[in-house]
Amino acid sequence: MLEPRVRELLCAVRDDARREGIQAEFSFHRERSSLIRLGNSAVALSTSEELTRFGVEVQDGRRIGSYSLTGDVTSAEPLRRALRKAAEICAASPEKEYEPIFGAVEETIDDSRGFDPALEAMPPEEKIGLCAKVIKTVGPGGAYEFSGSWTSGSTEYYYITTANDREAYRRLTDGRLVLAIQEQQRKWEIYSEQAGKDTAAFSAETAIAEFDSLLPIYESQPGWAPPLGNARVIFGPQAIGEMTMMAIWGGFIGRLYEEKQAYTSGKSFGEPLFSQQVSITDAPDHAGVYGMPFDFNGRRRRSFPLVENGAFRGLMYDTRTAAKYGKTPTGHDGAADLVFATGDAPAGRAAAFELAGEGLYIPYLHYVNMPEPSKGILTGSSRFNALCIEGGRPVSPLFSVRVTDSVVNMLSHVVAIASQPAFVDISTSYARRSPEALSVPEYLICDNVRISDRTETF
Amino acid sequence: MVTHYTEIAGVVNAELRRMTDAGCAFADARYFDESSNEYLMLYDGNLEGNGAEWERGIGVRVLYQGAWGFAATANLEAIPSCFDRALANGRAAAMLPGFPREMGPARPVTGRFRPPVERDPADVPLSEKLALMQDIDRALQAPHVAHRFVYLRTQRHHIYYWNSEGTEIDRLQVNPYGHLRVMATDAEGRAQRRTHELSSNGQGTRGFEALANDDAFGSHAERLKGELADLLAADALSPGRRSVILLPGQGWLQVHETIGHALELDRILGYERSFMGASHVKPEMIGTLRYGSDKLTCRAGVTPNSPGTFGYDDEGSPQREIVLIDKGLLVNVLSSRGDIAEVNAAAGKTVVTEPGNAARACAFYRPPIDRMPNVNIDPGQDGTLENIIEATEDGIILDYANSWSIGPNREHFHFGCELAWEVKDGVRTRVLKNPSYQGHTLEMWHALDMVGDSSTWRVAQVPNCGKGEPNQVMEVGHGVPVMRFGNVETGERS
Repeated sequence: MLEPRVRELLCAVRDDARREGIQAEFSFHRERSSLIRLGNSAVALSTSEELTRFGVEVQDGRRIGSYSLTGDVTSAEPLRRALRKAAEICAASPEKEYEPIFGAVEETIDDSRGFDPALEAMPPEEKIGLCAKVIKTVGPGGAYEFSGSWTSGSTEYYYITTANDREAYRRLTDGRLVLAIQEQQRKWEIYSEQAGKDTAAFSAETAIAEFDSLLPIYESQPGWAPPLGNARVIFGPQAIGEMTMMAIWGGFIGRLYEEKQAYTSGKSFGEPLFSQQVSITDAPDHAGVYGMPFDFNGRRRRSFPLVENGAFRGLMYDTRTAAKYGKTPTGHDGAADLVFATGDAPAGRAAAFELAGEGLYIPYLHYVNMPEPSKGILTGSSRFNALCIEGGRPVSPLFSVRVTDSVVNMLSHVVAIASQPAFVDISTSYARRSPEALSVPEYLICDNVRISDRTETF
Repeated sequence: MVTHYTEIAGVVNAELRRMTDAGCAFADARYFDESSNEYLMLYDGNLEGNGAEWERGIGVRVLYQGAWGFAATANLEAIPSCFDRALANGRAAAMLPGFPREMGPARPVTGRFRPPVERDPADVPLSEKLALMQDIDRALQAPHVAHRFVYLRTQRHHIYYWNSEGTEIDRLQVNPYGHLRVMATDAEGRAQRRTHELSSNGQGTRGFEALANDDAFGSHAERLKGELADLLAADALSPGRRSVILLPGQGWLQVHETIGHALELDRILGYERSFMGASHVKPEMIGTLRYGSDKLTCRAGVTPNSPGTFGYDDEGSPQREIVLIDKGLLVNVLSSRGDIAEVNAAAGKTVVTEPGNAARACAFYRPPIDRMPNVNIDPGQDGTLENIIEATEDGIILDYANSWSIGPNREHFHFGCELAWEVKDGVRTRVLKNPSYQGHTLEMWHALDMVGDSSTWRVAQVPNCGKGEPNQVMEVGHGVPVMRFGNVETGERS
C-alpha cells in the first residue's frame, strides 16, 4: 500500500471534502525514473527524476471541474488548495446535457505485482556496464555507431473518492533498453530491444545475439527496394503491436463507434471482422502485460474480449462516453492491456521465414497513423532489421518502405500466427511515467499488404 | 520552506559554484516557478474538458568530463541533493565517454523576456472564457453538423535560469491555443471534418485577446460549416500526379516534419536514432546540400507573436534569427552550444560557426534538447493565393492534416488532409474529399515552384511537438506562406 504518510494526507483531504459536502475523486501518481541515453557509442546523458502528481476532480450534479499539480505534495496545504481550485472550476462550469457517472472504488485493491526494488534502484553504472559490453563485443574498433537508451523506474497509482472508503493502489516497475547500430558507409541501422518488469529482463547476451543474427546479411548484401503493390509481409512483434493499437483505436473505442467514426461503426457484435485466427482481448491479469487492475473511475478491470476468432465482440466505453450514450462503462478510463492471441505456427524467426517462403520481413513500423479511421486505413514505414525473404531465408536487407493499407485487409489475409508470444513495451514518458505493454505473437504473416512507397536508402 | 526567488537564487548559485569546484566544466539550473495549463473543451455543447495543471520545481544539469548529468525535484528543500544526483549521473555518464561535449566560449548574459500580452489568460474569469466558447459553439451548429468541438488552452511558464558562467534569465511565456472543429459522416460512411486553429500574422499580442479576436478565431465557424457541407457532397480525390498547393494550415506541418526535425542537430548527430529517428542530412552536407528549389528560404525566426519565441533558450542563449536554407541551399541547422564542436569534427570542417539557440526543455523535470523555435518559410514573389491558382493548370489545394507519417530519417512522408479543392486551368472548381499525398523530402522541396507573398503568410501555433528521451512535448511556431509544388503523388491507389 501507499506510503502511510502520503496516504494519510490524501485521506485527510478526502475527509475535508466530505465535511464540506464536496463530491470528489483523488488520484496520486509518483514516479522514480532514471535514464541513460547513448549516442555515437557513448553515454550522452544520464538523468533521474522523482516526481509526484496529485489530481482532483469535483462533481456537482452535472458540473465537473478538475485540477492537478506536479510539485510539492508532501504537506496537506497544496492538496487542499487543489481541492478548492477544482471546486471553483466546477462551480463556474455549465451543466452537461447528461448525468455524469461519479467515480467510486469498486473494491479495495493493493497490487504490487511486478514491482522489483532492484529495477527501481538500478544505478546508471550498471546500465552503462552492460551497454559497454555490447559495444565492445559487437562493434570492436568503432565499425558501428551505437545509439540507444535505457529507461527504468517505478510508478505508483493511488485512487480514492468521497463515495466510499475503499482504496485502489498499484505499484510496479518497468524498464526498456534499446540499442541501435548504424554502419558508417551504407548507413543501415539494426536494433535490439529488451523490456520488462524486473532486472532479469535485461542482458548483454540477448542484445549481442540479436545483432549477431542480423549483421552477416546486413554486412554482406546490398539493400533492396521492393516493387510497389501488394506483398506478403512477415510482421515482427513491434509492428504487430503498432498494428494492434491502431486496429483497436480505430475500431473499438466506444465514442468513435457511437459517433460513426470507427471502421466498425454500424457493425454488430458477432459479425466477422478479421480472419478467424485473430483474437484480441484487453487482459489486465495476463502475465505478458504490465496489467492495470483498476481504472480511474474506480472500476476493477477484468478480461474483456474485443475480437474472438475474427468476430467483433466488444467496445471499450470510458465513463463519460458511457454516460452520454446510455452505455455501461467497461473499465477503460485509462490504459488497456491488449493481448493478441498466439496461433499455432512454429516458434522462431527462421521458422517464420521458412513458412512464408518469400515476402518482406518488417519487424518495426515507424510513425504509424490512420489517414482514414472510418475505413481503418493505416500508414507507417519500415525501419530497423527489415529483410527481403526468398526461398524461405533472408537474402538482403530491405530499404525503407511504406505500408498503407486497411487493418481489416491485413488482418483478414492472415497466413500464419506464431505460437510464441512476445512482450511489446509501448510506454511513453510524455508528462508522466506510464508503463504499458502488449502481448502479441512473435510474428504474423499476412498476404496482400499494400506497399505504397519505397526509398533506396535505409 | 524555501519559496522566494532570492532564497532559491542564493541556494542555486552556491550549488553551481560547488559543481564547478567538483570538476564540472559547466552547470545550470532551471527553476519553473510556475508552469500552468488550463484546458477547456466543449464537445457537442458539453464541457467535457475542464481542468488546470500546475507545476513547480527545479531541474539541474552538469557537464562532467564531457558528459551530461541531469536531475530534477519538486522539493525545494532538496536542491543541494538534486545537484548531488545530477553530479552522480554526470560521473556515471563519463564512464563511457564519446566525443567530449563542451560549451565553447563562456557567454554570460543577464536577461528578461516578456511576451506581448494585453490580457493574461490567467486573469480572465472562467465564466468569460466559457461564454466565448459557447458563442462559438452556437455558431457551429447546423443540421448537417453531427459533432462540434471548441477547444481553448492557455499556457503560462515562468522560468528562472542560472548557469555557472554567471548567466541569469527571468523568462515568461504565455501561449493561447484555440481549435474549432465540425464533423459528420458522408454517404459512404466515412467521417469527414473541418478544423480551424488559432494562428497569427506574427504581429500583435498573444494574451486572451488573441482568442477573443473574432477575425482570427470565432468567425471561422461559418466557413467550417460550409466546407463540411461541401465535403459531404464531394467526390473522392482520384489518385495521380499533379500540382499541390499547400495552405498554411497544412504547409506548416510539411515544414515541421521535413525541414524542422531534419535540421535538428542532435538528430543529425545521431542522438535520436534509436527513438524518433535521425536525419537524412549529414554534417558534411551543411553548406553544400541543395535542399530545395531557389524559391525556398527558411529561417529560425524571432517572430513576435508565436509560441516559438521565448527570448532566451534553456542554456541562456539569446534568441536570434538564423537563416537555415538560403534560396534552396542548406546553410545552417538548429543547434545548441554543446553540439558545435562535435558537428564540425564530424564534418571534417567548420560547418557551424555560432551556436543557435535551440536548447529547450519542456518542464523542470526534463533536460534541454535541440528543438525547433520558429521555423519559418520566407514569403515569396508569386502573389496571392488567387494568383497561384490562376497559374495552375492541374492541381489541388490542400488544408489541414488529419494524418501524418514520416520515415525515420525524415526522408519520405505521407500526409492525409481534411479537404482538397480541385484546380483546373487556373480555376478552383470543386471540393474533393479524402485527399492525401506522399513523397520524398528533397524531391518535394525541389518541386517548390511558387511561393505566395506576405498576404498568404500565417504563423501556426503548435503546442504539441513530441521528441526526446525522456519524452518532451514542446510548443513551436511556423510562419508559412501558401506554397505550390509540382508533380506530386496524390491520392491512394487501390
